[in-house]
Amino acid sequence: MSLLLRRGLKLPIESPPAEAGAPQLALTDESALGAGFGRDFRVDPLVKPGDQVAQGAPLMRARRQPELALTAPVGGKIARLDLGAGRALSQIVIFRDADADRREYATGDQSPEALRALLLETGLWTGFRSRPFGAFPASDQVAAAIFVTAHDTRPLAAPTRVALKGAEEFFARGIEALSRLTEGPVFVIQDRGADLVPASGRVRILRAGNLHPGGLAGGYIHRLRPASHEARIWEIDAQEVAAIGSLLAEGLVPETRVVSVAGPGLARGRLVRCQIGADMRELVQGLLTPGPRAILSGALPGALEARHLRLRDRQVTVVPRRGDQPRRHWFRAALSRAARPMPVIPTIAAEQALAGGIPAMALMRALSSGDLEGAVALGALSLLEEDMELLDYVTDAEPGFKGLLRTALDEIAREEGA
Amino acid sequence: MMRGIWSRETVAAILLIASLPLALAWLWTEGAGAALRLIAVLIAAGIWHGVFMLLRAQPPSLAGALTALAIAMLAPPGLGPVALILSISFGVVFGELVMGGWGRNILNPATITLAFAGFGFPAAGWPELAVQTGWAAMAMLVIGCLFGVMHWRVPAFALAALAGAYLAGIPVGPAMTAILVVLALLVADPVTSGTTGLGRALTGASYGALAALFTAMWADAAPVQLAVSAALLASLAAPLYDDAALALWQYRRRKSLG
Repeated sequence: MSLLLRRGLKLPIESPPAEAGAPQLALTDESALGAGFGRDFRVDPLVKPGDQVAQGAPLMRARRQPELALTAPVGGKIARLDLGAGRALSQIVIFRDADADRREYATGDQSPEALRALLLETGLWTGFRSRPFGAFPASDQVAAAIFVTAHDTRPLAAPTRVALKGAEEFFARGIEALSRLTEGPVFVIQDRGADLVPASGRVRILRAGNLHPGGLAGGYIHRLRPASHEARIWEIDAQEVAAIGSLLAEGLVPETRVVSVAGPGLARGRLVRCQIGADMRELVQGLLTPGPRAILSGALPGALEARHLRLRDRQVTVVPRRGDQPRRHWFRAALSRAARPMPVIPTIAAEQALAGGIPAMALMRALSSGDLEGAVALGALSLLEEDMELLDYVTDAEPGFKGLLRTALDEIAREEGA
Repeated sequence: MMRGIWSRETVAAILLIASLPLALAWLWTEGAGAALRLIAVLIAAGIWHGVFMLLRAQPPSLAGALTALAIAMLAPPGLGPVALILSISFGVVFGELVMGGWGRNILNPATITLAFAGFGFPAAGWPELAVQTGWAAMAMLVIGCLFGVMHWRVPAFALAALAGAYLAGIPVGPAMTAILVVLALLVADPVTSGTTGLGRALTGASYGALAALFTAMWADAAPVQLAVSAALLASLAAPLYDDAALALWQYRRRKSLG
């Protein structure tokens, strides 16, 4: 199946070329987990500041589903553990110890139940996102289909084939494992090159172009397997699938992921293998060009300024930091600033920014007016914030449709008691 | 691509740029009087934009200049200053500003202004447009579609309907200049021409069909008058076409997904 989604835009964000060669190993001395688990992710800690932990060892368990453990991305010392109200995870910081052990897991039992328990215990379960709503799947949830995103069309992203180089067998093994987690199809969204895995049985290949958001799963889910309360659709990144395959083969939780370090604020880009939650300041050390710079976790258009790489981000983007805007005369300000948000004008760009054949203006209006039923009828349950990022970027909509979609999804979840 | 490049004012600026050939062709053929007329309409509409900016913190839009151009070109030249200002005030205020400015309106404010002027002051004659403006209107449509601020379905299906009418023997030729200018300035407005592909196609097709029908059946109507009337009716039906398109989309989706 090829070129399902012909919509998309090219974002020509400039960046110096990346260094040649394979991604370099760049484990940072400090790493943190916290961002990317959701606003109200409540945990029961298993460690406290000062404890030594092995890489891959459980650090805490989710309160709402104790089977799910978060494990240490690197071995070392727990430097800090910040919990919010109700033991909501704020962040846990680890100082890496190069001599730390690695926790081994038994992988002999190949049954679906054992696989599920293994992924929950090792924390690799957090690689999945369930639609609708975008949370981690519940431990007993069964997916109606699984989509693997193996072609990142975000600007300056590391090519997936480069990221999977040397791990092709692990990737194939991970795909086979996914087939045991669902009775439905497993879709692999890849580029137009050779198949990353053979398309056989329930594994199907979808080919995406290079325009963004062609590589995102939302448009395909909307078109092929719309998500609903009865049919939960899971999504997982290709590197996380390879991590699952590596765990099954070696019994160790993989330590690194390939991350692209790029952006117009750098003297040169690089591809690195670093841990989840790596300290981004260490990753960009020695690469910054002079001037104030903002270090963002993730890819434009959805990057956020942060200290540590967020859970699902595989990019560090460095951009020039904008200075404070000078105060303008009130009349000049009145000519441009509005009491209400500016409307979005229907243009080709706005429609191309939303993939999947979704009627863009109708969805925008439904979200803007709080029409939940209309949004659901248009397929909003199949979408997540990342699917609206490009639309927010090209239109500079206020309030952004990312936030409006999240508000709508939260409200629908509340009404459905999910 | 810069963040927010396709904001409201960017689209309005590109539409203005696209309208330059049409504006220049009109000014060239009509002379200094047209320029004075355009300035007067800009001032009248601009005052209302300023009032709403100060009272409701609603910034004026460059699209107001496009509205002024359409009104200056297409309004009955026999309207006195009071009637013209009344028509502009009615169209701009009730058609656009009270709804929240350009982008939130349902009908093009110039369409409302011209319809009001036509119905309210039927004795005033309608302008005759030089044939060069018809060609310049085509250029405006091409530029607008190339930049993606106008949707190709609207002019394409309008022209297809007109071609069908011509082949059926309806003499649309003499009115084509006015039909094309109204198509470019009023019907192809991205805000009011529909938001779905099918909706835009139907809007364009209905405009072309109505223009052809009025040409055939409305014997004493001036070309601009019948074109503006067709534009008004087509624009009124655009939301209905969008609803139908969305209903059809949902039906086909349900059918394909089982």
